[in-house]
Amino acid sequence: MPVVKVLTEGIGEANLRDIKVYRERGGYKQLARAFKEMKPADVQAMSDKSGLRGRGGAGFPTGKKWSFLPADVRPRYLVCNCDEAEPGTFKDRMLLEETPHLVLEGILLGAYAIESHHAFIYIRGEFKRGYGIFMEALTQARKAGFVGKDLFGSGFDLEVTAHRGAGAYICGEETALLNSLEGKRGEPRLKPPFPAVQGLYSKPTVVNNVETLAYLVPILERGPEWFTAVGTERSKGYKVVSISGHVQKPGNYEVALGTPVRELIEIAGGLRPGRKLMAVQPGGGSSACIFEEQLDLPYDYESLQKAGTMLGSGAIVVMDDTTDFVRAAFNLVRFFAHESCGQCTPCREGGHWLERVLHRFLENRGLKSDIEMLARVSHEITGINLCPLGDSIEPFLASVLKRFPEQFEARVARETVRA
Amino acid sequence: MSEQQLVTVTIDGTPVQVPKGTWLVEAAKQIKREIPVYCYHRKMGPAGLCRICLVEIEGMPKLQIACNTAVTDGMVVHTQSEKAADGRRAVLELYLLNHPLDCPICDKGGECDLQDYAMAYGQGYSRSVDPKVSKPKAVDLGPTIVLDEERCVVCQRCVRFDDMIVGERELVLKDRGVRNIIATANGEPYRHNFTGNVTELCPVGALTSKTYRFKSRPWDLRRTGTTCTQCPVGCQMHVDVRVGVVQRTMSVEDDDAISDGWLCDRGRYNVGFYDDSERITQPMYKRDGSWVQISWDDALELWAAAISDACAVSPASVGAIGGGRLTNEEAFLLQHVFRAKGVRNLDWRAGRQRQASPGRDGGKLVDLESADAIVLIGESPAERAPIMDLRIRKAALQKGAKVIRVASAERAYPAQIPSMDVATVAEAAKNLPKGAKRIAIVWDGCDAALATSLLEKMPKDARILTYITGEQPNARGAEAMGMLPFCKPGYASVERGLDAAGMFAAAREGRLVVLSIFGANPALHYPGFSDTRAPFVVVSDLFMTETAELATLVLPAKSGFEKTGTTTNLAGDVLPVNAAQSLESPAEALSDLEMIVALAEKLGVDLPVAEEVDAAVLRHLASAPEDFTLGDERFVMVSPSNHPEEHRKARHEGLTFRIIVQSRILAGGGTSAHDARIAELRPLPEAAISPEDASELGVSTGDYIDLEGDATLHDLLVEVRPGMPRGSIALIGGLPDGPTNVFALDATVSVTNIRQAPEEAVEPIGAPA
Repeated sequence: MPVVKVLTEGIGEANLRDIKVYRERGGYKQLARAFKEMKPADVQAMSDKSGLRGRGGAGFPTGKKWSFLPADVRPRYLVCNCDEAEPGTFKDRMLLEETPHLVLEGILLGAYAIESHHAFIYIRGEFKRGYGIFMEALTQARKAGFVGKDLFGSGFDLEVTAHRGAGAYICGEETALLNSLEGKRGEPRLKPPFPAVQGLYSKPTVVNNVETLAYLVPILERGPEWFTAVGTERSKGYKVVSISGHVQKPGNYEVALGTPVRELIEIAGGLRPGRKLMAVQPGGGSSACIFEEQLDLPYDYESLQKAGTMLGSGAIVVMDDTTDFVRAAFNLVRFFAHESCGQCTPCREGGHWLERVLHRFLENRGLKSDIEMLARVSHEITGINLCPLGDSIEPFLASVLKRFPEQFEARVARETVRA
Repeated sequence: MSEQQLVTVTIDGTPVQVPKGTWLVEAAKQIKREIPVYCYHRKMGPAGLCRICLVEIEGMPKLQIACNTAVTDGMVVHTQSEKAADGRRAVLELYLLNHPLDCPICDKGGECDLQDYAMAYGQGYSRSVDPKVSKPKAVDLGPTIVLDEERCVVCQRCVRFDDMIVGERELVLKDRGVRNIIATANGEPYRHNFTGNVTELCPVGALTSKTYRFKSRPWDLRRTGTTCTQCPVGCQMHVDVRVGVVQRTMSVEDDDAISDGWLCDRGRYNVGFYDDSERITQPMYKRDGSWVQISWDDALELWAAAISDACAVSPASVGAIGGGRLTNEEAFLLQHVFRAKGVRNLDWRAGRQRQASPGRDGGKLVDLESADAIVLIGESPAERAPIMDLRIRKAALQKGAKVIRVASAERAYPAQIPSMDVATVAEAAKNLPKGAKRIAIVWDGCDAALATSLLEKMPKDARILTYITGEQPNARGAEAMGMLPFCKPGYASVERGLDAAGMFAAAREGRLVVLSIFGANPALHYPGFSDTRAPFVVVSDLFMTETAELATLVLPAKSGFEKTGTTTNLAGDVLPVNAAQSLESPAEALSDLEMIVALAEKLGVDLPVAEEVDAAVLRHLASAPEDFTLGDERFVMVSPSNHPEEHRKARHEGLTFRIIVQSRILAGGGTSAHDARIAELRPLPEAAISPEDASELGVSTGDYIDLEGDATLHDLLVEVRPGMPRGSIALIGGLPDGPTNVFALDATVSVTNIRQAPEEAVEPIGAPA
């Protein structure tokens, strides 16, 4: 059975928002065990051994990220990144709304592991409902003695603060998130220094994704070996993928890493009858498409990278033969241009330029020369930006320009501007 | 200096050795290889926004930004490789996408980094065929600056300057993406003492000065390097002249020792006075109560005859005041001529300040940055020496110094500058950081008792650095040159003559017959100055000042832009003053030096030759005044308020207030009042009062009041200022339309006639009619 229930266990069956229900199902046991029986270093070691990698998009090994913290600087902060806004991604929102105590337990475990006495969760502004649910969970947990002073008699104090964003995609980038959390304009910081050295309030900080932290709970419960038993050599364990687009049953599905893409599409109910698959965007709006002949690729970090794309946040968008790829490209480019903070030039100017050109294609006013120019300019603005947002524009655009040039050519009005 | 570890980096095949951690962009400068930058600035470090400084570094797959790359040993860098050139070309094309390309009407044209880099690294055409984004072209940011949003490249240098250097955070970046714009916080006018610097930081023509917009092209300007003589900091600056008129002044970027590369708004904008139509152009003589123009020869004859005649009776009946606005050489010759005639009544002090030389512990401006604590007593340098204030802000913002202000009546520092206000010197001493090794004391040179009591309370094992901010640019030079009643040049003791207060008193009593005043305006600045008339008063000045109006003979002088010599700043640095090339002066105006030389000839006084003067100036300024420090009793003047018959008492029952007179950098009776270009910047007469006193009086900000003591001041705009000491009212000194010196030092007044608008509209002096 390719669909598993780990983080998603109980969702849709029980009211996991109620701390009583969550505890009856084994909730907060791992937290109690960690505080009572384990040292922070033991929790770190478990995570390290599990091979857990960041589930927010970059896929950076979690244990390694924690190890960058300088040994002698205090305080340290843990920040849970719940600013989920990558196009096609809706897994963190589900976890936050449906199993908030799991999210909180993960945050508490992560904070304990890195010896942070104050953890933050930055919740996307639009997740108003999720914020309310999480705050209620936080209140329940505090009442139960899982948040606050001297947890489980360990002498370890741990406070959790939730902060709502104000509606900017860029605040999902960890340093922009930290700026926003500090009350500043949400724009990425120049690196180095990295957050592990100078993060929130200039103190050593780890920023982890919601799903990443949540996986700490089952890893502690079942042991790292359970997690490493599935997946591929370097992509271990499970992943919640958000499958959307032209499938019959779009939604979140928890699967083992390495499951072939073809199987994932089938899990989501497959294509509508009579339709033909044209492209799959496997890792969110920032990823390049894969095509029909690549559907047997295992869904893991390395295989997708080798295929010139990425796993990203685990957002799979399936596109069939009804897709207008010019409109799809315009839609994504407009998104990135709109969400550009504008502080650095290639992203600010380049994104807007490409948006305008694509808008002309939508109106059937493209130039033949634009097609090559779109590819060249989107490539030129890649790799020279302050943060990854500017680099997110090229992959999808370039892959569909190459695969479906006829869709662009069909909207060309003239050869060049003077012709 | 600590030993720095050196590393070797190879840039375009040339190895260069630099200290570890040096930014690549700085390392490249050492081999004269320019890496283009917009956002990076030497004083603010990397920002990583403009992405134009792309270079190829061996072993790294992507192009790297040179501004935020610290060199490592063995690093091999290519700035001219095809890959690097292609990256720069692509970025430049992006910059020009929405740029209006209005270079023919842009003030920056000819000195614009976008123009220069587009020529050097650009491709010469654009692939874009879509219309440009249009934005507002002339956004008024405040009284000094206009923003062209279309030209802006969003490098944020101006925003970072306001945050990192000034600490005011008035400029912000608004909106996002391609609609990013520079704006002021909450839409308030952009207004502090350093706004003009953003026009120089701006790499393009987005931020321009109102005083310079559409006035000139850079290649038509004749540039002269000189020292700003508007305050005693002595910032190095460039004066740019076209068609005989000063078009603008600019900072000197590598002037790290004094200005740190910045200029204040007075030095930058108050430069239109010297060609003002009210400038005195000819010697004037008061005959039977009215002014007549006379020739220089007649003027000199009258002056010399008056001095000779009086000296023949008694040199004690002759006096001279001035020097603080003269060059070192002029001050030296001035005292030389008068002392040669036996005159001992010499003083530079014509305002509130009593002392200008800090004596044995005097510090240099850069030393402020290494202080653990900076204690400000009396008036802070914020309005008297703004660029020194900027250095203090730097020490606090970037170097962790603690700034302590004692009994300050001024507005608080912005929250992000670590500072505290205390009421007494004892509290200041108590709040010094533990184990402070270097403590800077900055005093306004007025209340000697305050300075000495603070010095006594300083920890004995700390190194003390002292500074005196002043009202006159070359006050310290004038003191060193012997324009004091008790010192010859080089601070050598001499039998004491009358100080300025003594001379005014002697004049009133008929004991002083001839008084010569050079570049000083005691009638506006001297506290408690009352109609002092000696039989023969000579005034050398640029304008018909309040003092000149009282004179017998008025001589047209040259300004700091029009003469050559040296000046001494508050830190004792001897700095060059150079006449601006191709500047046109009134034909009959003479420098004070020329006047003094001519006077000496008429008086038959031998003068040293120029080389001897130069040598004497340097020798006397180098002489270390080891035997005095802040608040030395010799500098204390005979204050008129000490005279029993003039002792002031509150005449009214009820609330009375002590007067505190404060400087404002753009107040001032001479250069500022006669400069139409900056009329909007000039403050109106105002009265600051504590919130407690305000509520007791029933006044609020924006009301108008009169103050009544032995004299009356009308139409003062009320500012309720938190932190003001109770029982005090702070007034702005030096405003011709609100002469605070009608009151004596520490005068007591009561508030009368509270109302919501002045009875007659107050027009700033010099505003267009």
